[in-house]
Amino acid sequence: MADIRVAGVEKDYGALTVLHDCNLEIRDNEFIVLVGPSGSGKTTLLRLIAGLEPISRGDMYFDETRVNDLDVSDRDIAMVFQNYGLYPHMSVFENMAFSLRRRGLDRQQIDAKVRNAAELLNLSDYLQRRPKQLSGGQRQRVALGRAMVRDPEVFLLDEPLSNLDAQLRVQMRHEILRVHQRVKATAVYVTHDQVEAMTMGDRIVVMHQGRIQQVGTPEELYDQPCNRFVASFIGTPAMGFVAARRAGEGGLGTATGEVAISAAQAQRIGARGNLTIGIRPEHITLGEVAGQAQLSATVEMVEMLGAEQYVHCRLGPDEMLTARMPRTAGLRPDQKVTLSIDMDAVHLFDAETEAAL
Amino acid sequence: MTDAGRQGFRHRQSAGRRIGRGLQFAGLGFALLWTLAPLYWMVATSLKTELEATQLDPTLFPHSITLQNYTGLAGGSLPFMQFFVNSVLTCLVAAIVAVVIAIPAAYALSRAKFRAASQVGYLILIVRMFPMVVLLAPLYLILLTTGLLDTHFGLIVGYTTFGLPFAVWMIKGFIDAVPIEIEEAARVDGYPRWQILLRIVVPLIYPGLITTGIFVLMEAWNNLIYPLTFITTLDKQTLPAALQLTFTGQFKTDWGGMMAASVVTTLPLMIAFFTVQRSMVRGLTAGSVTGT
Repeated sequence: MADIRVAGVEKDYGALTVLHDCNLEIRDNEFIVLVGPSGSGKTTLLRLIAGLEPISRGDMYFDETRVNDLDVSDRDIAMVFQNYGLYPHMSVFENMAFSLRRRGLDRQQIDAKVRNAAELLNLSDYLQRRPKQLSGGQRQRVALGRAMVRDPEVFLLDEPLSNLDAQLRVQMRHEILRVHQRVKATAVYVTHDQVEAMTMGDRIVVMHQGRIQQVGTPEELYDQPCNRFVASFIGTPAMGFVAARRAGEGGLGTATGEVAISAAQAQRIGARGNLTIGIRPEHITLGEVAGQAQLSATVEMVEMLGAEQYVHCRLGPDEMLTARMPRTAGLRPDQKVTLSIDMDAVHLFDAETEAAL
Repeated sequence: MTDAGRQGFRHRQSAGRRIGRGLQFAGLGFALLWTLAPLYWMVATSLKTELEATQLDPTLFPHSITLQNYTGLAGGSLPFMQFFVNSVLTCLVAAIVAVVIAIPAAYALSRAKFRAASQVGYLILIVRMFPMVVLLAPLYLILLTTGLLDTHFGLIVGYTTFGLPFAVWMIKGFIDAVPIEIEEAARVDGYPRWQILLRIVVPLIYPGLITTGIFVLMEAWNNLIYPLTFITTLDKQTLPAALQLTFTGQFKTDWGGMMAASVVTTLPLMIAFFTVQRSMVRGLTAGSVTGT
């Protein structure tokens, strides 16, 4: 098993730098998720860890060994690719046994290892089939099995569920976590889906424009996002933002009215004039609630989800807030409503730097 | 539009469609005739007697069918079987050599990231842009100085020179279509590049290799100018050159014998073509398969 240390790693493609000063420590046995939108550099960082791409600057360590110049085949990693990367001309058994043959294991050992993995992944009946004779979920499990049989020090997974339908994705999420608990390897998982990140990661690395924005547990990222990007990216529905300016000692002015802030919040804001208020959907209540800030808005859309509903409200031309609330009859688009905001729970961001205050 | 008007419009439309379809069939029929007529003429003439084959008023169908021209090939004074073996040997070896050399070259061009990759690729292709005759003199001199003139090995070198660039580019296309993740998975599994090429890439592009091999083989098989130039001993000659050298005399051409020899020359290629037809189609459409 291995700790991974990424120290000041950067990656260039020609004149373009796609990863900037990445620093990260991944602990032994940890399940860490790299998450971010397309082009954020998460897959590039994973490929650098794998050794599939050379590092332009900085250092990478597995435990105390510097692996910058170590070939991918010598890193003792296993990788699950986005479109599986199965060998089409080999059976499921051969796909899983391919790496073991390279290591010179004898036939019995190979047979035992492959059959063990196949049993764990419910693939025992498909060992003689070719990848094209399998469904998407089965192929994904073969890819997982191929990685598992090697008992690697590091498990790398590059958006392994993105080609599956929603139901299968949930099922495979559990499967991957189960496998991880079983094999006890350090796992680095790349996804653009923040729900996947939140539900799977021991810790999450949020990336944006080639930089690591924040590293933390799912709770830390949700409760204490370090900037507006992380706040907007983590959480479903996404956090809503309202532009505000300082109005007197204990208040903030917004486009639809003034809201009061606490002394602690006022202290955090300091001398800043313009800022952004970030409000999570669960901190908004429909109607007037005593002791909370009131904002008037227009209902734009109501999303019915069964037990609850999301009410998307417009405050101004560029300002939307989404409220999560229990089912309430009678809300219609274009209806004028008053939203009560729990100001103790809101997040404040500098309007210019977008850093959390 | 009224119902009657609509019906009339539909009627006109379907009549127009019928005429279009008729024209299509007529065009196809003409193309088919154009392609098959020489083949028919070759087969028909090979079955005619010498008198009938050379008469001034040619007959469309042979009056009396004879296999004399074919038996003449096997039992005549000319070493026809030797020509056949020469052709098979030189062309087959040239095709295999071209494909075997082209595989690593194409792999490097497809996957390796080096500065002049595309320039090198085009440089290889430039050989194909010269007419075959232009390469004749330099090749002749090379073979002469290396002592390979009038040898099958020299002829194979000649065939390969012209077939290799084509093979490299064709195989590069097939390798480009293999998803890179499959190779990366093999790298992660611990395999070195050359083993990945042999154990993963080659089996995946196998139909493409057959297709390429057949194309090189066909080109070599039909090549007249190289054997005529590089081979001086009649016994070492290949079929096309032998046909030209032996059946065409100064005062008389043995049309029947020549056509019988032509049939025997064409037949192996046609058989090879039809045998691997399926894999050729698969090879030519390899880009549409994503490897799973």
